[in-house]
Amino acid sequence: MNKLYLGGIIFTALMLLFTYMSVSGSEGGLNGDIVNMLAVAGAVALVIITVFVVTKYVRQMQTDTADGQLADEKWDGIGEYLNDLPMGWAILFFALIVWGMWYFVMGYPVNAYSQIGEYNEDSAAHNTKFETQYASITGDKLVEMGESVFLAECKVCHGINADGIDGKAANLNKRVEAKSVKHVVINGSNNKLLGMEMPMPDRNGLVNGATGAAITDAEIDAVSTFVANGMKGAGADVFANVCAACHGADGKGMDSVAPSIATFNPTLVANVLTHGKKGAIGEMPKFDRLNAKQKEAVGAYITNLSK
Amino acid sequence: MFHWLEKHPFFFAVGIFVTIAFAGLVEILPNFAQASRPVIGTTPYSTLELTGRHVYIKNSCNACHSQLVRPFKSETDRYGHYSLSGEYAYDRPFLWGSKRTGPDLMRVGNYRTTDWHENHMKNPASVVPGSIMPAYKWMFTNKADVETAYAEQLTVAQFFSVPYNKEVPMKDGSTKVVKMGASIAEANELALAEAKVIAANMKDQDVKDAVAKGEIPEIVALIAYMNSLK
Repeated sequence: MNKLYLGGIIFTALMLLFTYMSVSGSEGGLNGDIVNMLAVAGAVALVIITVFVVTKYVRQMQTDTADGQLADEKWDGIGEYLNDLPMGWAILFFALIVWGMWYFVMGYPVNAYSQIGEYNEDSAAHNTKFETQYASITGDKLVEMGESVFLAECKVCHGINADGIDGKAANLNKRVEAKSVKHVVINGSNNKLLGMEMPMPDRNGLVNGATGAAITDAEIDAVSTFVANGMKGAGADVFANVCAACHGADGKGMDSVAPSIATFNPTLVANVLTHGKKGAIGEMPKFDRLNAKQKEAVGAYITNLSK
Repeated sequence: MFHWLEKHPFFFAVGIFVTIAFAGLVEILPNFAQASRPVIGTTPYSTLELTGRHVYIKNSCNACHSQLVRPFKSETDRYGHYSLSGEYAYDRPFLWGSKRTGPDLMRVGNYRTTDWHENHMKNPASVVPGSIMPAYKWMFTNKADVETAYAEQLTVAQFFSVPYNKEVPMKDGSTKVVKMGASIAEANELALAEAKVIAANMKDQDVKDAVAKGEIPEIVALIAYMNSLK
């Protein structure tokens, strides 16, 4: 055994000793922890492999002699042997070419990650789930869904109790307030509550069938109170003579003519959500990001509130 | 040629740099130029909107509110379509923000209106129970600085070719012209005309009176900016 191997073995033994000492010296040693054990195993492997490789090459430098055929070219005076390609290298080289072609035409284009792609997949999965779980719910379930949509989207103006937070938005616990009726009668309205353009004229276009004249201030006050009271009390005659022609004798509206002003209904609410609304209090934005089912649900919830 | 290069390391290095830089230009620039072009429907800020944007920056709204909707279902449900880089084409500086203490405002104009902003800026907790946003009452009395906004308009129109007084394509195929005054006086007029539309939907009598007198309180400019975020 020559000096080199002896030195290698001694060095290995020393390094392993240091490793042992530093491990047992640290608090608790290996501690039965798999990560600690792996770290020690790694350290041991590193020492042994390093010593083995270094020994091998130092030995080779000491003993090897040059043989083989030199190439004709010289590079700055340094010659080069004509060796065959190592087989492993050659196989790897051609395999990489094949893999490169696959990656260029298939691997990257087909499997590439994109944030928007992931978003689209997420959305599609969510929509499918919505379709299967919620698209056909009715009744109490629908009202429940409406309540959660309401709490997410509507409560910032209408308040968690839908009371309109002291007049900052419409109080949805009743169909309409006197102030709003008055505003609409005086100014007319075109809020697409029926889902289409169907303007209501302003006060100059509202003729009292009994007197043949345009509606008067006193009549406006009377009918506003009447509608706001849920179609009860004084003002019934004005309503019958002025409003009933379009809104119906019971105030529940007529298809394609006028919306219900006696009660909410889901279609009416859905139309408000689709088109927004402008009235006595202010302007409500449209909520087009809600899907049809969510709008229907909010409609059911709000209809339910004033029942 | 290559023998010569091998003997001159400096020029060899330059050659390598030029080759790689060229590849980078070809790969990166066209895509970048495409993505940073204004999205159809993105318009320059009008005078009052830009004034409001300055109010927004002055009050550090961007410290708590981001203007960047990320492509997650939970975000797009709440705020609308995820942001595209071309939508910031006229933002100088952009106001992406790095933290959301309050909600994102990238598209707040789609789902809040003038009267809500008025209530909210006066007393946030009155419409959002438990809100920790402070009230910004001084905005109802401070006068907005239209002149600085006009100076910015002039600058960006001249140096960055922001298309003021030009037709800008909209999503529905129509075009829209955002006007910029030819003088400060005209800019003030344009801003006041916009302010009147906003003030008509507001309830605060002092603000209405101020606008009727030809003054523009900061709140009016800020609301114009909020409504323009779509």
